[in-house]
Amino acid sequence: MKNVAESGLLQPKPGIPILSPDELETPPLSLGQLTWRRFRRHRMAIFGSVTLFLIIIYAFGGMLVFSEADANRTDTGNALQPPSREHPYGTDTIGRDILARTIYGGQISIIIGLTAMVMEVILGVSIGSIAGFFGGKIDSFLMRMTEAMLIIPQIFLLLVIARIWAQSIPNLKLMGRTFSGSVLVIVFVIGITSWPYLARIVRAQFLSVKENDYILAARATGTSTRDIIIRHILPNSSAPIIVSATLSVAAAITLEAYISFLGLGVRPPTATWGNMLEGAYNYIETAWWLWFFPGMLIALTVLSINFLGDGLRDALDPHSRAA
Amino acid sequence: MTRYIIRRLLQAIPLLLIISIILFFLMQNMGDPLATMGGRKVTKPEDRLRLARQLGLDKPGCVQYVYWLIGNDWTKPIGEIPEPNAGIFTPIIQCLDPRNYIDSENPGVRKGVLRGDWGISLVNRQPVTKVIGERLGNTLLLMVTAETVIILGALLIGIYSALHQYTAIDNIITATTFILYSMPVFFFALLAMYLFSVNFRRWGLPYLPTVGMFEPGAGQTPSQVAWHMILPVATLSFGFIAGYSRYIRSTMLETLGQDYVRTAKAKGLPHPEVIYIHALKNAALPIVTLVALDLPFLLGGAIVTERIFGWPGMGRLFLDHVSRTDTAVVMGIMMMIAVAVIVFQIIADVTYAWLDPRIRYK
Amino acid sequence: MRRKHLLFTIIMIVSLVLSACATASTPTAVVTEVPAVEQPTEAPVVEQPTEAPPAEKKVVTFVWTQEFDTLSPIYTNMWFVSVIYPAYMCPAWLFDDQNAAFPYLVAEIPSIENGGLSSDGRTFTLKLRDDIVWSDGEPITSADFKFTYDMIMSDKNAVNTRSPYDQIESFETPDERTVVITFTEPFAPWLATLFSGSTSGTPILPEHILRPVFEADGTLDTAEWNTAPTVGCGPFVFEEWQSGSFARFVANDNFWLGRPKLDELFFQFVPDDASMIAALIAGDGDIGTFFAYSDVPQLKEAGITILNSFSGYNEGWYINMHEEKGNPALKDVRVRQALAYGFNREKLVQDLLLGLTGVAATDWDVSPWVDPTITPYPYDPEKAKALLADAGWADTNGDGTVDKDGVELILKYGTTNREVRQNTQAVAQQDLAAVGIGIDLQSFDADLFFSSYQDDGPSANFSLDIIEYSDSPDFPDPNTAIWNCSDIPSDENPAGTSPTGLCDDKLDALFLKQRSQVDFTERQQTFYEITRYIYDQAFWIGLWLDPDLFGFSNRMINVKMSGATPFFNIAEWDLTP
Repeated sequence: MKNVAESGLLQPKPGIPILSPDELETPPLSLGQLTWRRFRRHRMAIFGSVTLFLIIIYAFGGMLVFSEADANRTDTGNALQPPSREHPYGTDTIGRDILARTIYGGQISIIIGLTAMVMEVILGVSIGSIAGFFGGKIDSFLMRMTEAMLIIPQIFLLLVIARIWAQSIPNLKLMGRTFSGSVLVIVFVIGITSWPYLARIVRAQFLSVKENDYILAARATGTSTRDIIIRHILPNSSAPIIVSATLSVAAAITLEAYISFLGLGVRPPTATWGNMLEGAYNYIETAWWLWFFPGMLIALTVLSINFLGDGLRDALDPHSRAA
Repeated sequence: MTRYIIRRLLQAIPLLLIISIILFFLMQNMGDPLATMGGRKVTKPEDRLRLARQLGLDKPGCVQYVYWLIGNDWTKPIGEIPEPNAGIFTPIIQCLDPRNYIDSENPGVRKGVLRGDWGISLVNRQPVTKVIGERLGNTLLLMVTAETVIILGALLIGIYSALHQYTAIDNIITATTFILYSMPVFFFALLAMYLFSVNFRRWGLPYLPTVGMFEPGAGQTPSQVAWHMILPVATLSFGFIAGYSRYIRSTMLETLGQDYVRTAKAKGLPHPEVIYIHALKNAALPIVTLVALDLPFLLGGAIVTERIFGWPGMGRLFLDHVSRTDTAVVMGIMMMIAVAVIVFQIIADVTYAWLDPRIRYK
Repeated sequence: MRRKHLLFTIIMIVSLVLSACATASTPTAVVTEVPAVEQPTEAPVVEQPTEAPPAEKKVVTFVWTQEFDTLSPIYTNMWFVSVIYPAYMCPAWLFDDQNAAFPYLVAEIPSIENGGLSSDGRTFTLKLRDDIVWSDGEPITSADFKFTYDMIMSDKNAVNTRSPYDQIESFETPDERTVVITFTEPFAPWLATLFSGSTSGTPILPEHILRPVFEADGTLDTAEWNTAPTVGCGPFVFEEWQSGSFARFVANDNFWLGRPKLDELFFQFVPDDASMIAALIAGDGDIGTFFAYSDVPQLKEAGITILNSFSGYNEGWYINMHEEKGNPALKDVRVRQALAYGFNREKLVQDLLLGLTGVAATDWDVSPWVDPTITPYPYDPEKAKALLADAGWADTNGDGTVDKDGVELILKYGTTNREVRQNTQAVAQQDLAAVGIGIDLQSFDADLFFSSYQDDGPSANFSLDIIEYSDSPDFPDPNTAIWNCSDIPSDENPAGTSPTGLCDDKLDALFLKQRSQVDFTERQQTFYEITRYIYDQAFWIGLWLDPDLFGFSNRMINVKMSGATPFFNIAEWDLTP
């Protein structure tokens, strides 16, 4: 908005106080700054982000303190020890240090969350945008597929698919760590069963944004379809996508924990927070430290991500509260 | 409206067909039901071959699907069918060869799903309808109770929160609901079990049972079942109460800010009447949709909760039979859920339109 | 208005819950707490108002972690069902705590002296007792035996197994008390499998009940009797089974050996080990089984008696010896022996299994068929390293694993995802890494692991170098069909069961020989050779002996365990008065 005083519209009327130009207007804020401001006000979101940051440091920075060998070293004579100075979180059923395992397990869990989210976003955005933009028969067909996948409860699909690909992939080496190929399987399985949620949101966004005049203008000037989608529509629909993507990381971590708990997740000895809980509830009475620490970490991480997502939703799109 | 309903129902049919094909295909690739039929020992080879033949598992996947759908009582044995040797294309050729469909060594007694015959479970040879029927009641009991608790709890907490916005209690409630909402179900279950069963017992307080629907010695009495239901229902509800109450809170806040509510207050109507009759009715409308959409998933039972608490319901049935690759039962459960989801979606839409006169469906 | 309704509903629910609290919190604990006190005075406190059984009723509660799939002996796939056959079904003979057969339905065990066994080992004559009756009073006759055989062999029934009935040439019933069975070839394993009481045998079916069903339905697959065998012939008879919760068997007054001492057997189905242990410790259950060794100390502390019955199962590694698909490194016997010397199985058994069992040396351990000079390979990492060096393996690139001709020695080791096996894998990986052998771990769901060759099951497609599971021969018979060339699964033979893919002429010949050696001493000598050969060649490396563990509460008396027929004397079990 230009300086109102310059426009000549406001003439000083007698008796009415006038504000001098610099008191009249604060410099305009960019979208990013507005967003940040709204975000800052959301106290829980700040708390969530800080906690998340600390957890990431714990999981990835912990590599400097404990080596992978520490996390996998078995010591059957020392199994099931309660927390002590030597093993602050205690030891598990074959004597492995639980603190080290939560560190390395955290890496895998967080990586699973992030990569599943990336896969879900790619699939969901592609399918949703194609369906929303082109409409007609393509939209019909894609929406039938999406609906079909949504009708089947996700956990059922997860269980069934996880069993199918359970054995295919050998172990991988990455960043100096070796982990079981089942990590990829889990990422794939979660990504494949979660995209319908995002696709529906993206499609709805596309359907409404598509009707705007500037899109019509872009088309009239001959912008290619790809450019219209990528440079015009997507940036304007980004808010719900970002929020959804953030929350889906939490969902992916929780899902991984569920299927590991039911025995179909990442295979040991690669640790994840989820599979540390797998056998642990057999020891609910005798060795609470087996399930308490990984469980707390999962709950904290998911909580922080939820706070963060809530804050982002408020900051990016304050109108999206109800329905 | 009737036309709308009929149209939706007709649209649902191809959808169900697609779903059944996807699921059946997944089940085919899942593992070998014959693998553990030897009990503790590995199944003997002659038995494996014979059982594959007798249970119809040696037929290609597409043929098995057709039998599942329309039965095999119209087939007759036509003798040996040579197996094509086309490498990777063998399954496709087998699917297209009509001889594979007609030939069935035991011209069956199955009528197929379309005629109401859901098949026989591979695990215990009982009809699928009987197997599922035995567990359906238990799951419904648990889930309907949980849903009632959820609705009541969410309404109470949501309304209270909305009316007392920004007070300390509201903040505490908001924070707590968030925490509960983020906790994975089984972690809550473990904590609850640890506290109320294990530790209460240690401290000599009346403790809640951990497993099953009732104590064996006491029999299946209503009070036993109710007592055993407390922990599972609590586990199932807490997350949803947290989520829904926040939802109700926000819609209530929005509604309370509307002009017509202000008018009602200005007219001098009593406070409770304003809140419950004017505001709540409108705020609760979306809840109807949410509840209606959640109900069919009740049928699946909460898999993890039932596993932890040993509740003999559909969730455990699903887990047990999926791990034995019992296609008929798993398909039965999933199709039942799919049909229920579709039906309830239609009910939700119709109810929503009925409650909100602004909505009209063509 | 609304608020009042809400309040009312809440009060209703709360009061319901509270009333449930009041009545439900006391019953379960009382049963085992005061065994010495007279039963009648405890009764009013124990039971719910709706159910007040007479105070003297003796009920034993089994806590089973797996629910029955079916109760029919020809259809069940579960050990949890076949182990209770002695309660409600009758085979021709049972095995006692020394694993010696004693007659049950027959008057005496067939042998050459009494004419029950022909000299060529092909014909068996069973003479039935005169007083045997079904639980509804109908006498048990040879017709029931014939009917059972017919049903097993009928193409209309998808029975669990036909072995060994598919090798029978003729089955005659000259009169009501005599059954004459002739096999096509001399059949050595008959005692363990022919209508026997071992878990690989089959009890008989009631013809007078099931024949009409078979004729009406065309098959027995869907018979109601399968899940509700109301007519049986053991000391107990089926009463009810509520899916997902419990099953009950009550004493059979028509049992020809006299009414059993107990009144009722109650089976409680729980979802997992933890709840079973909790139930046993709390006294809510009397019998449990199949628990992890790590639970044993807690159980002993709570006063539970642990009995283990060895039923032929041994946990071990099967080494992939397949000609084409096996790892060439494993073709060298020194490498295989290095695996045995390099893995400290003694410590594993001490720590993980709490020393409650022993290290296994052969798959036939704890039976008279093993060469008595065999002992498990001791832990000797130096020897392991020496053997590897001997075979040409050395760590030329300093990465911790030995290699030869540019190939690292990394073996793929797979098993199911039971906790004790996962733990074993991790320990093995560590031990073997210390001698320079790299191990790649994989684990699978049981159903997937044991999938057939056609379904690309990892235990059948030779993609793994070492597979671990627990198997037993046809205990108490040593026969087993996994070591022959003809057992190897392949495209031509997709149902083969050999886990090692071994094709060794010497072993093939020995197994062929023992199958027809009806004379015990000769057969034993052949098996000494077999076990010695497998041991020396390290085709199978033993991990631990895998007996079945049973826990019994201290109010039970007269319980004896048998390896072949665990609950063989269930009619005599009693409770402390």
